[in-house]
Amino acid sequence: MAARRFIVEPRGLVSWKVRLLVPVLSVIAALVVGAIFLALTGENPFDVYGQMVDSAFGSSRALSETLITATPLILTGVAAAIAFKMLVWNIGGEGQFIMGAIFASGFAIWLGDGAPAYIALPVVIVAGGLGGAFWASIAAIPRVYLGTNEIITTLMLNFIALSFMNFLIFGSSSPWRDPAVSTFPQGRPIPESARLPEIFNRLDGGLFIAIALAVGAWYLIGKTTWGFEVRIVGDSADTARYAGIGVARKILGIFLLSGAYAGFAGGLFVSGPVGALDPRSLDLGLGFTGIIVAALAGLHILAVIPVAILMAALVNSGPALQSIGVPTATVTMLQGAILIFVVAGEFFIRNRVRRLEPEPTPEPVEVEAT
Amino acid sequence: MNDSLLMLTVVAAIGLGTPLIFATIGEIITERSGILNLGVQGMMLMGAVAGFWATFTTGSLLLGVLAAVVAGAALSSIHAFTSITLRANQIVSGLALAIFGAGLASFLGKIGNDPLVGNPSREVFEPLFTGWLVDLPLVGPLLFGHDLLVYVSWLVAGIASYYLFHTRMGLSLRAVGEDPASAEAAGVNVSKVRYVHVLTGGALAGLGGAYFSLALVPTWQDDPIGAAGWIAIALVILSSWRPWRAVFAAYLFGAASRVQFTLQTLGEPWSDIPSTLLSMLPFVLAIIAMIVLTSGKRARYLGAPAALAIPYFREER
Repeated sequence: MAARRFIVEPRGLVSWKVRLLVPVLSVIAALVVGAIFLALTGENPFDVYGQMVDSAFGSSRALSETLITATPLILTGVAAAIAFKMLVWNIGGEGQFIMGAIFASGFAIWLGDGAPAYIALPVVIVAGGLGGAFWASIAAIPRVYLGTNEIITTLMLNFIALSFMNFLIFGSSSPWRDPAVSTFPQGRPIPESARLPEIFNRLDGGLFIAIALAVGAWYLIGKTTWGFEVRIVGDSADTARYAGIGVARKILGIFLLSGAYAGFAGGLFVSGPVGALDPRSLDLGLGFTGIIVAALAGLHILAVIPVAILMAALVNSGPALQSIGVPTATVTMLQGAILIFVVAGEFFIRNRVRRLEPEPTPEPVEVEAT
Repeated sequence: MNDSLLMLTVVAAIGLGTPLIFATIGEIITERSGILNLGVQGMMLMGAVAGFWATFTTGSLLLGVLAAVVAGAALSSIHAFTSITLRANQIVSGLALAIFGAGLASFLGKIGNDPLVGNPSREVFEPLFTGWLVDLPLVGPLLFGHDLLVYVSWLVAGIASYYLFHTRMGLSLRAVGEDPASAEAAGVNVSKVRYVHVLTGGALAGLGGAYFSLALVPTWQDDPIGAAGWIAIALVILSSWRPWRAVFAAYLFGAASRVQFTLQTLGEPWSDIPSTLLSMLPFVLAIIAMIVLTSGKRARYLGAPAALAIPYFREER
């Protein structure tokens, strides 16, 4: 018998230090992996990373751009966190984000210039949430009432939403398309009254709305009776059923809430920096990136906020890399590596690994290795 | 007759379905061991770039295919480690693999002073047979009009089917996917079986990716495979974890992803349908098929491995 050199044992209570250490180490480990690939392909990793930090935080302009990108990521991160925590595998944040943007811009255009901002803004944001929830419902209802695997359906709905947005702008003369531009199709600008006012550089009030919505989700799930019941369903559907909680409706509720949050992100992005249903500005994978944000935040809703800012810095540093001849895909690679290490790190949150003390062997014995 | 629209569509569907066959059967083999690997898109992209690169540097298609297989398996080994050894969440781990593989493949295609991107492949898989065989009515284009990898894909389906249902190892594999504890008690090394089949799945996904870069679109571009890796995951369920059904499901989706060309040939009014709408078709088809075919208890009867995506650990001592 080969001697086992390590012993794995479950931790009882997990201290916050361990919980914090794993994501931090995950990011560092991912950066090391990225550095190895960069070095192997003849780049200087320090230069590349320096450029990335500079392009994300180096100036007040860069910082506000990072916060602009963080705004939707906070919401798509919350969307993934609340769903995954309840074991609802909503991978469709991307599609729900796009559908939120379609609804929000649609309502803004429908309201027109006449509506005052205090009506137009709430309508547009709520419309975004409705769009996301509606798109989630296409996967959520079959999941809850028929048992259809939501991983696949939400994934497929991402591609359908993207095609639908492209159809509205490139494939038809829909109300979303700008009739003034005939050369290359563009989204019709939404009325000024439906735009979030800018505060600092291009940064608008959307960031604060996103943070408020995230805190709202934290309160709803952490502090209310509904949230308590939802958490029981997440921990054990059987326990919940035994306690008389309507499991199906709770899962449906959390699924739609998750979709609504991804939709809010789309709505705020249209109402804030983008200002139109513009496929080039909206097809950035912000919905999908929310999954990475949620995982790195340990599915903790409030932790999503700082993590989203960090991830936004990473996302925004991509274009700057191109200027020094490094592919933007470096960012995607780093995101994937971070997620891999976070998933692997879960093991070390749940378990303690320690070296097995060598057993006192008085005399050396030939051990047959197997 | 061989030039009829139906025939052209079927032949094109076979071509477009071939990478899906490799990836889907790979994922079937992986899932039969109880491991869900959502990273197919990443493994296919790595196979596509590795295969293209190897053929580009050596001029050998064989080395290209080998590199693709190795790259796919290498990437899948990450998922094998996290999900089998570390008992991690397989869904998140698989998504991580998809993101990482896509990023790395794109990175490798663009990096350096003389990047791969934009270059045509030095060698391309060409139809194997020429002359009178191909000109035979009906059977010519259907049976003899393909390149080598199409025949390999049929072979893979046959071997996988035989392996799964008619060999001892296939029985062990299915036992591990259904009830790992019982399989372990019967003397099967659950971890080993799972590792082997996750890597096999990765290798086949890599091969599927290489079919894009060495046969279907033999010029390196940033996103050469579309959403094939994601479609393959849906096809696993639609083919109810059976290799031969995967072949036909793959051809159906191959045809669906080509429908805009078919409609263009038909002329008005069919050609007026916007391509942005038609590009939804494979995904809409997948959702409808999922809801109709796999809902409720039916999924279980279809043959979903009972232990799929559930981490397994022996109680130690």
